[in-house]
Parts: sequence; C-alpha cells; structure tokens
Amino acid sequence: MVTKEYLMGNEAMGRGAVEAGVKVVAGYPGTPASEVLEYVSTYPDVKAEWCINEKVALEITTGASLCRTRAMAVMKHNGTNVVLDFLMHLNYTGVRGGLVLISGDDPSGISSQNEEDSRIITHLDAHLPVFDPWCPQEAKDMVKTAFELSEETELCFVVRPVTRVCHARNQVTLEEVTAATGKEPFFEDDRSRFIMSALQEPKAGGALRPVVRHKWLNEKQPELSQIMEKSPFNHVEEGEGNIGIVACGIGYAFVKEAEKILGKKFPILKLGTLPLPRDKVLKFARQMTKLVVYEDSEAVVEGMLKQLLYDEGLQVKIVGRSGFLPREGELSTTVVLKSLATLYPELEKRIPETKPLEMKVPIRTRTQCVGCQYRGLLHALKLMARKTHGIVAGDIGCYDAGSFPPLELQSTIYCMGSSIPMATGIQYSGTKQPVFAIIGDSTFFHNGVLGLFNAIHNRVDMVAVVCDNRTTAMTGFQPHPGSNTDVHGKPAIAIDVARLAIAAGATSAQVVNPYDIPAVTKALKKAVSEKGVSVIVASMPCYLLARRTGDIGFTPRKVSLEPDLCNGCKICVTYFGCPAIHFSDGKATIDQATCVECGMCVYVCKRGAIT
Amino acid sequence: MNLNILIAGVGGQGNLFASSILSEYFINKGFEVLAVETIGAAQRGGSVVSHLRVSDSEIYSPLIPAGQVDILLGFEIIEMLRNFELLRADGSYLLNNYKEPTVLCNMELDTYPSDESIMAALQKSGKKGYTIKATECARQIGGSLLTNVVMVGALCQLSPLFDSQEVRQVLARKSPSKVREQNLKAFETGGSLISKATGQS
Repeated sequence: MVTKEYLMGNEAMGRGAVEAGVKVVAGYPGTPASEVLEYVSTYPDVKAEWCINEKVALEITTGASLCRTRAMAVMKHNGTNVVLDFLMHLNYTGVRGGLVLISGDDPSGISSQNEEDSRIITHLDAHLPVFDPWCPQEAKDMVKTAFELSEETELCFVVRPVTRVCHARNQVTLEEVTAATGKEPFFEDDRSRFIMSALQEPKAGGALRPVVRHKWLNEKQPELSQIMEKSPFNHVEEGEGNIGIVACGIGYAFVKEAEKILGKKFPILKLGTLPLPRDKVLKFARQMTKLVVYEDSEAVVEGMLKQLLYDEGLQVKIVGRSGFLPREGELSTTVVLKSLATLYPELEKRIPETKPLEMKVPIRTRTQCVGCQYRGLLHALKLMARKTHGIVAGDIGCYDAGSFPPLELQSTIYCMGSSIPMATGIQYSGTKQPVFAIIGDSTFFHNGVLGLFNAIHNRVDMVAVVCDNRTTAMTGFQPHPGSNTDVHGKPAIAIDVARLAIAAGATSAQVVNPYDIPAVTKALKKAVSEKGVSVIVASMPCYLLARRTGDIGFTPRKVSLEPDLCNGCKICVTYFGCPAIHFSDGKATIDQATCVECGMCVYVCKRGAIT
Repeated sequence: MNLNILIAGVGGQGNLFASSILSEYFINKGFEVLAVETIGAAQRGGSVVSHLRVSDSEIYSPLIPAGQVDILLGFEIIEMLRNFELLRADGSYLLNNYKEPTVLCNMELDTYPSDESIMAALQKSGKKGYTIKATECARQIGGSLLTNVVMVGALCQLSPLFDSQEVRQVLARKSPSKVREQNLKAFETGGSLISKATGQS
C-alpha cells in the first residue's frame, strides 16, 4: 500500500535522505532550509548535528562520506557561499559514500539579506551536478536519487530548492526507510585524491595534482550529461505553437498554473537537472523558433542554452531572466502570465483582473518581541551611541531589528560575522568616533569569533557586544556552541563567550543582564573608556523560549503610566519602541493586553511617568 | 472542485494552526492540498500569510495566483487589506475586526487607517464579506491565542464547503489536551458569531 503524508518540502527532503539510508546529517540553521535537519534528527539511527557553521558541516559530512557512509549537509544560500572554499576541493577529490548538499535559495530575499542563485556557485563554478525541484514530492525523489548517483559518479550532488518548495506542504509518497547502517564504515587511503596539494603526479607524466584532478572533474561532465538524459526530472510536454517554454525548478509550477488559467497548452521542456540533458534540449529546440526560460533566479539555464545552441549552430532566439523577464525577485504565476501575454496578446484578456484597494496600507516592520531582553540592551546602546557619536556595526539575527525605525541603531549589516571586522575598518579610517559592534551568539560562533581574535590581536579600540541568548532564535531556536543542549535536547558543552574573550586577550569581558538597563549602561560606559577590545556579553535566555519553561529572566511587574507626568518626549517610543507602548495625542499609554510585564520601560522613562 | 483560501495575519495569531486544521479536513475528504506560508523573518510580529489550495486535480503553484483567492480570512485588518488585491472578483472575505497597530503607527510616524476609511474601501471594492469580533470573543473564552479557532469556526458556518462537525473532529484531534476544551468552545463560538455578523455586500 502506498502511504502518503502531508509534509513540508523540507521534511520531504529529510525523509528522502532517511529513506536513502543517510547516516550523518550536518548543517547550520537558515531559512528556508532549517527543517530538513530538524526532521532528520527525529530518526535515532541518524547522526544529526547543528554545526558551528556551514563549512564545518560540509567538512564533517565529507569525512563521513570518505568512510563509505551516506551523508548530507544542509544550509541556505548564504551558507553555500561560506562553504565555497571547501567545495572547490571536494569537487576535485570526489566522494565515496553518497554525499548530498542541500542549498536552499531564497529568491526575493524573503528571509535573507540578499537574493542569490546558488546554482552559480555549485554548478557553474564547482561543476557539481545540481537538482532543482519544483515541488515537495520531486524534492524528496531528487534527494533520494542524488544519493544513488553520488555513489555511482563519485561526485557530491547538490539539491537546490527555493523557498516556495522548502515551505510548501503537500501529500508526499513515503517509501521504506533503509537502515542507516549501510556499508561498514571503512577508510581506505588514496592520497592521490584526498591530499589536495600541488604535487607532481608521476602517473600523469609529472603533471601537478590540481590539474590532474581538474581533468578528472571535467571528464565527469559527459557522463553526467548522459545520466541527465535519462533522468525522470526532465521531460517534454507537447503543446501548441513553436515558442518553447523551458520551465526550470519552481518555474514549472508557475508555468503549469498559467496554462490552467489561460486554458492553453504550450510546448514545455521541464528541466530539473544540471548539467542539462543535451540531446533532449537540442531535439526540443530544433522544433522551436523561440525559447522562453523560466527559472529562479538568475539566467543560469538561459545562458547554458545559449552556449549549447551557439556551439551547435542552431539559430533559436532565447529569452528569460536576462531581461525579457524581471531580473530581480522571485518568479510567480503573475510574472509568467504577463510575459506570455506579450508573446500571445490574445491571451491578455484571460488573465484574472485584480484591482488594488483604494487606500494606503501601513507597512509592518519587524521588531523585537514584546518581552525581548535585547530591547533593553538596544535602548542602552542607542543612548550611548548618541551620546558618544559612536558608530555601530551590526550583524545577522533577531537584534538586527534594532537597525529599523524607530531605533535605527546599527549603521551596517552585511553577512554572518561581518560586524567586528567592519567596526575594525571603521576605526582604522582614523575616525574620532568610538566604534561598536553588536553580534548574536550563534553568529559570533559561526565566524564572528575570528573577527574578534583579529581585532584583539591588532589592538583595535572598540566595544564588541555579544547578544547571548543561548539559541539561534531567528531561525527557530536551534542550539549552537553556546547552548548547553544539542539538536536532540541532550546535554552539550556550552562555550562561555566571556571566558573565551578573556582567554583571547580582550581588555575586559563584562557579563550583563540585558533587562537591567542601568547595569548595561554602566558596562557600556566602562567599555567605551577602555583601550583595546572591550567585550560585553548581554546574557539571558531568549524570552520566547524561556516563556515556554516559565524560566523568564525578569520578575513580572505590572506597569502603569501616569498621564500627568508624561510630557510627550517620546523617548519610550523612539528610543525603545516596545509594541505595548502606544502614543497618541501627545501622551504615551501602555497597552496592557500586549504588555508582558518585563518592566524595562520603567527605566526608559526619565520623567518617572511609568511605574 | 478548486478552492483557494488565503489567511492573512500577524506573527503569533496561529495562522499556521488554522491552515493545518483546514488542510487535514480536506485531505481526509480525499482532496489534493497544497499550502505554503511566509515564515522566518515574518515572525516576531511581522506579517504572516498562509496560502491553502484545495482541488480534485493536481495543483501546481503553492502560491495562489493573483485574482484567484476564493476566501480571504483576515486575522488582522490591515493584513487583510494588504492582500485584498489577490481576491477574485466574486470571492468573499471574513474579517476579524481586530487592529494590531504597527510599531510606526504606535509612535505616530505612520497612520493606521480609520474605521470609516476601511469600511469605505471595502464597500467600494464591491466584494462581499463578513466582519466579526473574533479576537474579542477569544479573549472572553480564554485568550487572544484562540482567535484562529474562532475564525475557523466562523468560516465553517459561513461556507457550505465545510462540514462543521467533521472540522470540529479534526480540531479535537489536533488540539493538545490542555487546550482542547477551550479550542472546541472557541470553534463553536466562532460559528455562532456568523448569525450576528455584519454582512457587507
């Protein structure tokens, strides 16, 4: 009997790996891909681990693969940037046990600092085979197939789902789970592969090893192309006309949806693999006068098609994300419909009419949760930065909301761990303004700690604030090296940030309670006056998490606001911004239904109106 | 049968739980269900949108195409208005008369639309719909966290596509034991609100 289960795309991919007998799964949390590892961790036979960062995760899984064990690394596209250095060696060495890398892309940057197409890194740069699923079921099938093919070809396979595949929920077919034990683990030396160094290879006429292994990788490509030719993830659908629709990954979902709405069948070449199935592509292209390529999010397949058809001397116009379609943002049914209407004007009238509501709807910016300890920290730091004309370099995590209105605290936010090095550079510019860096604990361990070591070693004058809530709160409370439990909730060794900083040579490492605004202010004052790197660890478990266990970091106190004492200075909204504080008609009020009684606002109001 | 339901609200309103109840109900009925939520950075008091698509044939896009939403469930007023354009010409809405002010509105840096302007815009849209006080009711029963269940209860009463008893069974099964009674009460209260609801057409 076929069993089906309603699963999220991420869970479906996790299930695919478990069915394939994966034994080691490692990753770093990141939307849209976090739930893959969380799902796998529910299977006791699988060694699942949240790692310090993505590069470490890929290195761990590669180590396992070399012992003939099936392994998988999971990350979002930013993480794939982080693994690039290792990936550019892993592609030369190849693997033993099936190795799969899941790289979740987030077109439109719905939950990201940027939008990026990781097919470029993994395929165009590393020349690894990539699967691009269009739905949860295919994502699962692709993961499973990737393990088989990875062992067959000795290459790491990449599965690149986009957010709408990762987060989609659908009935997915379940198959039997293969025992994770699989082959007996065995490491057999092969230094010609696993020692990546510029060594002359006698067997290759003295050629250097990097060249020999590069050749090995290049010679794999025709074999891969042959495999993709037979792959069920690529197919052709008959349709009217001679404009061919090339639908890649999630693009297929939107194209099929558009077909339904327009009531017209197009000739479709559905693609889910890189490299491309060369013969299938050429056969399709020969019947067409034009090809329209729908893909998220860069013109990757479009470019590859142009190259292939040019080499074949085939004159077919090819358009897509290089300009015919929007070059930025995620694909949608609307994008597909509008573009098809430019090719078939008679279809325009079949596009459902939408009328915007005739009113301005306010935007909703993300902010710290009501009760979040970091609101106190951000408030104190904002006042200190204002007083000292300080510059604050920020980092990735919940506390990044301090950079949005109303606080507008952090002046820079780039990628994981860039706060301390950027603060260093700002200080090196010769500015007389004090520099601050603010970084979360998970981000600190991810690679922020390197920037700290660099700043300490080079005697930089700065204040580095580490927001230590013992969890990766932004992505759903995954543990990190500062947490005392692992993904299974089992005890783990928590690395103490303050002790680490002192051991490294920081001038000071003050541990403060972020709810205690006067204490944070005092610590900041001391830190600003010091030479060298002064570290402040704002330490308190995440309120949302602590609330579940009843172990919150404050004694609840019901606060009230005396309207007569409120002079409308707005410090409580502009420099604190708690959603439970409202302001109207020149006075602040407390929304008791929203308030969680953390009591921080009592210290914020300089008039003593809040008690 | 094709049905597209969009649930628009803010983080913490239990958008996902509502979507999962309805999903399971339709799966039990043998339909194909495809759903997707905006999650991640949309938590922490940000906008949360759930797309839920039901059909007796294959569904492709997890996102409901613009102009194809049959039922728009607004857990919060401006979040519903933000997504109103997606509603089909003959689609309908069910609105929880509840305002979650934005941080910028709180500090008078932005303006939350007035009741009059909201009513006027909805009327001008020509779409039919109902407005109920789900959060207010939820608070009376046991807390604002029950808003989602009140809304689901109301939806089941409103649309002939739902067998209220069957949805209730799904809800009972999916509710953690300590909140089951409250959830069932919220569900029934939601249904009874419909008879008292303000209908706009």
